[in-house]
Amino acid sequence: MVSVSLTVNGEKRTASVAPETTLLKLLRETFNLTGAKLGCDVGDCGACTVIVDGNLVNSCLMLAGQVDGRDVLTIEGLATSDQLHPIQKAFEDKGSLQCGFCGPGVIMSAKWLLDQNPDPSVADIRDALSGNLCRCTGYTKMIEAIQTIAREREDAKSVV
Amino acid sequence: MRAFEFFAAKDSSHAVALLAQHGPKVKVLAGGTDLLADLKFAAASHHPRVVVDISRADDLRGIQMTDQGLRIGALVTHTEIMNSPIIREQLPALVDAAHTIGAVQTRNLGTLGGNLVTAVPSMDSGPTLVALDAIVTVAGPDGKRQMPLTDFFVGPRKTVLKSDELLVEIIIPKENVGKPTHFLKFGLRKGQALALVNVAASFWVGDVNTFKAPRVALGAVAPKVIHAPTAESFLEGKPITPENMVEAGKLAVDDAKPINDFRASAAYRRDLIAVLTRRALESAYQLHTTRKATERSGQ
Amino acid sequence: MDTKTKTGTLLEAEELLRAPAPAPLVPFPLEVRVPDPSRQTPAVGQRTTRPDARTHGLGQTKYIDDFYVPGMLFAKIKRAGVASARILKVDTSEAEAMPGVVAVITGKDIPVNSFGPSLKDQPVLAHERVFHAGDGVAAVAAVTEQIAADALEKITVEYEEFTPVLDPLDSLKLETPGVHAPSANIYGHKLIKKGDIEKGFAESYRIFEASFRTQMVEHVPLEPHSSLAQWDANGRLTIHSTLGRITLGRADIARTLGIPMSRIRIIATVVGGNFGGKNEITTEPVVAMLSKKTGRPVKCTFTRPEEFYSSTTRHPIIMDYKTGVTKEGKILARKIRLVLDGGAYCSWSETTLGKACILCAGPYEIENLVAEAFVVYTNKTMTGAMRGFGAPQVCFGYESHMDDIAKALGIDPLEIRLRNALKEGSLSPTSQMLHSVVVRESLLQAAKRFGWTGSAQGAQA
Repeated sequence: MVSVSLTVNGEKRTASVAPETTLLKLLRETFNLTGAKLGCDVGDCGACTVIVDGNLVNSCLMLAGQVDGRDVLTIEGLATSDQLHPIQKAFEDKGSLQCGFCGPGVIMSAKWLLDQNPDPSVADIRDALSGNLCRCTGYTKMIEAIQTIAREREDAKSVV
Repeated sequence: MRAFEFFAAKDSSHAVALLAQHGPKVKVLAGGTDLLADLKFAAASHHPRVVVDISRADDLRGIQMTDQGLRIGALVTHTEIMNSPIIREQLPALVDAAHTIGAVQTRNLGTLGGNLVTAVPSMDSGPTLVALDAIVTVAGPDGKRQMPLTDFFVGPRKTVLKSDELLVEIIIPKENVGKPTHFLKFGLRKGQALALVNVAASFWVGDVNTFKAPRVALGAVAPKVIHAPTAESFLEGKPITPENMVEAGKLAVDDAKPINDFRASAAYRRDLIAVLTRRALESAYQLHTTRKATERSGQ
Repeated sequence: MDTKTKTGTLLEAEELLRAPAPAPLVPFPLEVRVPDPSRQTPAVGQRTTRPDARTHGLGQTKYIDDFYVPGMLFAKIKRAGVASARILKVDTSEAEAMPGVVAVITGKDIPVNSFGPSLKDQPVLAHERVFHAGDGVAAVAAVTEQIAADALEKITVEYEEFTPVLDPLDSLKLETPGVHAPSANIYGHKLIKKGDIEKGFAESYRIFEASFRTQMVEHVPLEPHSSLAQWDANGRLTIHSTLGRITLGRADIARTLGIPMSRIRIIATVVGGNFGGKNEITTEPVVAMLSKKTGRPVKCTFTRPEEFYSSTTRHPIIMDYKTGVTKEGKILARKIRLVLDGGAYCSWSETTLGKACILCAGPYEIENLVAEAFVVYTNKTMTGAMRGFGAPQVCFGYESHMDDIAKALGIDPLEIRLRNALKEGSLSPTSQMLHSVVVRESLLQAAKRFGWTGSAQGAQA
């Protein structure tokens, strides 16, 4: 067994799991955070995407032992009890998700992108989402939603 | 995934000690983008008893100029390469190559060392480093040794590493830092695609506008990343002209041994080698002229 | 305290977290008004948000694999790995003895081991014969997924392998051994005849022949197939499943388990992509039998590789077209033969066959037509429903053919289609009179939007 002690969505969590447990399984089965999904288990589809120490990663490609002492952010850590994260709001307004399975992964990638690059071009957005496969939507409204957030932030700044 | 024991190494010496202690059925975990994907569906006979995690061995990180040249730690991720100021300025081809790998998530986890050690012939980090005459440092229980990257690779998914050895760093010789180089990859998609063919071309512009120390490296067209020696010796000392670049492209085809597989036919790959080699040479020259113009304008 | 403000703030907060209503609520009428069906309702044209957008964005939508029930076991299915074989022997003893393995079943444990939307030719688990490499031959329920997967490797199966039939054109030949012998390999046939094609060809300025093929395609829903079975003490079964057609699924589960439908409750929640691939049962009877045997809830989720070789795919179709045209490119006669690769089992092949055959002439006025379609067995992954049911494949055929004809005759590809397009009142290949036909208008509008100014070859016509 490996013992891990980490921060998940701002909360200190500990667990004792088999060494071969991936971060994805740790989140889903031990912490009951089922937002990150198992779509392929080999890092191709991005449905398992989370942010570890500020780094956007496939949680199916990390072992639980590797996140000891680290900071993990999942989809469940974005909204507060009285407010959606702007990306969640924009996705809702634009109708960016259909079946929703890729949603948590895409939203984490969008968050990572906007944290790095507040004014991404369409090419930047496509690049940032290229590790998230979506079979339903064709990505159009996800790109629109992300552009809307970037524009709104720009407008908010110019008002000051 | 099948069970294994897990040990986290504090630094590279600790890692080597762990490998020696728990080998030979032991695997090194760095970024995990190849290893973990592999272990999920691999046969029982292939499965390690122990996994040694080196992701916290900070002495394997970092990008800096040393006496030998530009040193890139084995644990440097593809994203870190893309963001490194010195690499962006001196060797943008390495940035281009890193950018063609996988997608954001896999670039954030995947390491340069891991890409080289997995030794898939179509690896995207290989050709540029081979074109720049890179050398690598390997650490084992008996100490460290260095060798040209071309000698590090043995064949598909095979390097000289023994089960108790670790790839520590990759060094681009001082005289090649800043050499005009260009990398091109042709895959069936723009992202998350293996290369059908990848090419790196590198040369200094000699007196009277000639090719000086030209290098052409090819990936995915032989059991390992190779030089195109016929193309290279043809170019040496020749005037830099479009015709010579076209000819070099044709000669590079003869140095390669592409295969038919479900992604492409050998014939198609041969066509790609000729075109990509010519284009890589053109773009490397373009980089040189752009830099010269920038220097002249005093920026 | 200003209670009005406090309530207002509370409502606002709740508002944010509640699924928004699609349109402002209309006051309940005091007099009963009889609605006029020809009038548009107030909801049409309103901007709305999907009700599931909220839970999706929060990552709170529970898909089947997100369900964890106390005492739940995990099931895995062993795949044959051989395309065509007789099963001589299955030894599950070593797997059953493994710590953590609670039950193992094989084909012989399934009460009625056949199902299907039309032909009931598909087994739940292969019993005597294997018809494609993705056939399940045994299933294990264990306390963890990994133990179940490890147990699969301890199950030994002895096969007598046969030469598989892989090319649908081979299946078409009478001398090829029947995949499901003694049944013939051709398991579906449709013939459409209209007018007199020999007369049409005789009058044609030129006759064009071409052959087209499409490949097998997998839906790749992001969410793999998954189902979870639990029984209660009264012998009632509850299954949570990714299955789309739950009524049909219930009938198939009742049949395969040999229990009345009234004993089966199927709950389908939000699915993570279907596209036709989740139209019939896959793991449901397996988890039901394992749950019955173990007395515990059992969940089975496909791996991504299983999605490719053990779930239905799109029919590859081989299309042979022969078209006779006038000098102006007007179609006088068309003869088409389609051969659908019907995989190891029928699944939704009959529907696909029908659609492909009716649509393969294209949206064009053709007085003289013969369209004949066959679906044949091969020892490959079963082909079933996938968005379009045969329409996308034949569209590739008839539109490529049209482009080739246009090029050969020197006619603009848009123009040749306008000359042949179906109109209001045209008869379909099956002589159905068509209304609300907008082929011409759509083509012209599309051409305008794409900025189609004609092709170089069209200038010569």
